[in-house]
This record gives sequence, structure tokens and C-alpha cells, in this order.
Amino acid sequence: MSLPKTSLWDIVKKQFRFKLKSYRGMFTSLMMLQIIGILFSLGGEGGGGGGSDSFSYEMKYYSGSFILAFLMIWAFLSAIIVTTQAYRFDDYAFVANRMSSNLANILFLGWASIIGGVTFLLASQSLKLSVLILQEQDYIVSQRLSMLQMAEGLVGIILYLFLFTALGYLVGMLVQRNKIFIILLPALLFGSLFISVFFANESTLLIDVGRIFVKETSFLLFLLKVLFASTVAFGSAIFLSDNLEVRK
Amino acid sequence: MLKFNKVTKIYGKKKVLDELTFSIGENKITGLIGRNGAGKTTMLQIAAGFIRESSGEVRVFGESPFNNLSVSANMVMVDNDMNLPASLSLDELLDSAASFYPNWDMKLARNLMSYFRLDLKQHHTGLSKGMKNTFHAILGLASRCPLTIFDEPTNGMDAGVRKDFYRALLKDYLANPRTIIISSHHLNEVEDLLEDILVLKDGRQLLHMTVEDMREYAVIVSGRDDMLNDWLSGHELFHRNSTDFGKSYALIRNNLSEGQITSAMNKGLKFSTISNEDLCLYLTSQEKGGIDDVFTKN
Repeated sequence: MSLPKTSLWDIVKKQFRFKLKSYRGMFTSLMMLQIIGILFSLGGEGGGGGGSDSFSYEMKYYSGSFILAFLMIWAFLSAIIVTTQAYRFDDYAFVANRMSSNLANILFLGWASIIGGVTFLLASQSLKLSVLILQEQDYIVSQRLSMLQMAEGLVGIILYLFLFTALGYLVGMLVQRNKIFIILLPALLFGSLFISVFFANESTLLIDVGRIFVKETSFLLFLLKVLFASTVAFGSAIFLSDNLEVRK
Repeated sequence: MLKFNKVTKIYGKKKVLDELTFSIGENKITGLIGRNGAGKTTMLQIAAGFIRESSGEVRVFGESPFNNLSVSANMVMVDNDMNLPASLSLDELLDSAASFYPNWDMKLARNLMSYFRLDLKQHHTGLSKGMKNTFHAILGLASRCPLTIFDEPTNGMDAGVRKDFYRALLKDYLANPRTIIISSHHLNEVEDLLEDILVLKDGRQLLHMTVEDMREYAVIVSGRDDMLNDWLSGHELFHRNSTDFGKSYALIRNNLSEGQITSAMNKGLKFSTISNEDLCLYLTSQEKGGIDDVFTKN
């Protein structure tokens, strides 16, 4: 008896829809993190003040950096969670093979990055509103963005989040492949910090890596860099997962 | 349909499957019988494509099942520790299953759910062991896959649910024939619905025959020790046991001629039949003397 060929893409789509439902807990944690992020940001990030006999002024600087930092950690950790055994085995409850499972995961993480990016924009708006309502102030000056800048910012954040999910996915797969990476990876990370501090008085390795993305002024180049890096990370993760058992 | 050719699976140093060779035809219900550790689950997991064989050749629908999407789409394996996402209710799990399996029968699934009193709003993690396995069994039945594997599906179910489940299985099989493999410790529970029986021992195939053939396969001879000993030489002996008062019995291969039977009758030996369940127990027992020997050695 020969089988009707099953289309990979068809199964990936089904798995993606399945994951949207079954991984919804991730979006609850996203909401919680953003609320915490907003609360942290309400303290302001800097400011100053001054005055004379007759008047005084105070200023505070608010930004969504906290929220963004939380989001990046969320993206990284969510991707790691997706690679854990329990989540991987969930896929095989129904129809799956490794490739379909990996592709559906990447699709899902992409989707999660988009949700993360859009909700970040909303959260930073809520931050502005909260400051307006909660703090006693007379002026609020905020940067006005054109639609294009706004769109670029949104896509930029989504790309950053996607990059972090790709990193998390690779780290997660490394750990699944061999548990020694649980120790090895943090050791390498902190070790590189300490060693570069020891020799050069300033930690540079991580910053240098970060600069590749952060200092990029051309949006198109940034896009290409992120896509390239994520492809490499996801690709290596898929390669690594090839030696894992399908399901016990 | 399902073919194993000299399949070996090694975990560490232990050979769980040892050059296992058999094939199962299309649209048959086969029972997989064996003691704990005989390699039943390993064999099923290899057939389902979850784990890879160490050596040998496995063919399901003519393809190697490991990590194979087409095989996965046409196969469902129901076992005790199915991984199902904790975040979904049973209802959502049924919907998800329906989206994956083209032959899924939602009406059957829902009817079985209400018959077995499973609450659709409940979550998988909140179910008792028996309820969980009932739910898994419903998934297995309703997905109507060309290859359906049940690995000890009735663990934890109460007697009533077991009976109902097997009856549902048989009814659905008759209406929609497909290849079904059931592994079980309790042969007499499943015997009525099986066509073939495959018995594993130590990772090898011990027997593979129809249920009817198996009933004729062996016979018990009993009588006085000395008479039995004389008569037994030349027969294929599966099991031998002495009871008190100089009487003993033996389980032998049933390939006797008329002459052999009459000569045995003349010596005062008696013949009796053995149930398939007991036969499997004797055939797969590890120790020659059975559990009694453990105590007599002390």
C-alpha cells in the first residue's frame, strides 16, 4: 500500500495554528511583563532640576527601555521554552516530523515577535498616558514621530525580538543536545566578560557583537543583518535537533 | 503494511529488540503479547517512527517510519504517556486532532466523550489515570488512521470501561476496517477481537499466528510422574511441573498422531486444553519452574 504524499507546508500550517492555541500562556506572561515594565518605567530614567529664589523646576526623562528590555528577555526565554522536551513532545501528539516541528516553531516565534512589537508600541503609549495621569507635571514633551519613523521603529523592534528568539532557540537546542551547555554557555558569557575586562580594562566582545546591529544606520542593512543572523541561528538549531529523538 | 526485518534496538548495552522479524498485513487486528521488558513498547515506538532502530529494516506503508511525515499523518499511536499540551481543554484537543487527521470522526469522538462522562471543558492534566487513558483511546479511535497502535490502552480503566472500549473498537473496526495493533497484558480480554497474535520474548518473535491456530497449538498432558516421563521423550516440551502425590503435568506442542494419543491414554495420561492466555504465560516465562522455585530455593 502506498501513501498519499503529505505536504510539509500543509502540516506546518496546521501545527502553527495548533501552537497559537496551545502556547497562549506565553502571551499572558508577555502582558504581565509589560505591566511590570510600565511600573518600572514610571520612576523615570533620569532627569534634573534647578531653580532660583523665585522659581524652581524639575524634569524627568521617561522611556520605554525597561519595557523593551523585558520584551527581549521574554523573547529569548520563550524560544528556549519551546525547545524543551515537554513542548517538543507535544508536537508529536498529532502529525509531525522534526522539520515540520522546527518550521512551525520558527513561524510561531516570528508571530510572537510581531505581537511583542505591536504591544510594545501600545505599552509605550500607555506609559505616556500613565505619566500624564499619575504624575504631577505641567509639561510633557514627547518625541513626535512621522508615520514612516513609527513603522520603522515597529519593524525594528520586531526584528530585534525575532533575533532574540533565534538566539534563544539555538541556545535551547544546544542544551537539549547536551546538558553540559547549561553550565558552558553562562560560563563562556561571563568568562568572556571577565577576561576582556582583565586584559583590556573594558569588556568589548559582547558590545562589539551588539554594535553590529545597534550602530547600523541603514534600515535595509539592519534588516538583512538580522535576517542573516536569525537564519544562521535557526539553521544551526534545526541541524542540532536532527540528532534528538523524535519522541519517547 | 508493517514489516520488520532483523530489527535490533540497543539501549546502552541491553538489546531490547534482537533481530526481530515479522510482518503484519493490511486491515487486521493484531494483538501484541509479551512480558514486561519483552520489547513491546520499543517495537511499537519504532513502528510509529518515534525512535530509530539500531540496525535492520522497518517498513510502514512501504516507507521507513522514522521522522517520516507521511507515516505520521497516517498513523496514530495511543499510549499511557501521550504528551498533550496542558493549556488546552479536552474540547480544544479534539478540535486540534480533527485538524490534523483527515479521517477524523468528530461525531464518534463527542459521543464517546459523553458516554464515558468526560467533561469537554476539563483539562488533560486534571484527569485521573483511567480517564486520561480513556481520552487517549477516544483520540485513537476517532482519528481513524490506516495504522492505529494502542500500547496497553486499558491501563487504569475500570472493568466496565475496558469492556466498552473494546466493544467500541470492534464496532468501529467493522465499520471502518484498518490495521490495528493492540499490546496488552491481558490476552483473554482482547482475544475475542483479535485475528492474529504476535508473541514477543526477549526482543524476539516467539509466535505469530491466528487466534484459532493458537488454540490448537499446545496441549496439557497430566498423569503419574513415571508414566509421564517415559511418554514425554520425543515431544516438544514447553513447560513441566510436578504437583504433590506423584502426579505431574506437562505442556507440549500439539502435533500428536492418533497412535500417540491412544498409547498415552493406555498409560493413564490425560489430555486437556489450555487457554491462550495461560499458554502465553508459560511460553514467555523466564524461569523453568516458575514462581514456586523462588521459594523452594530458599
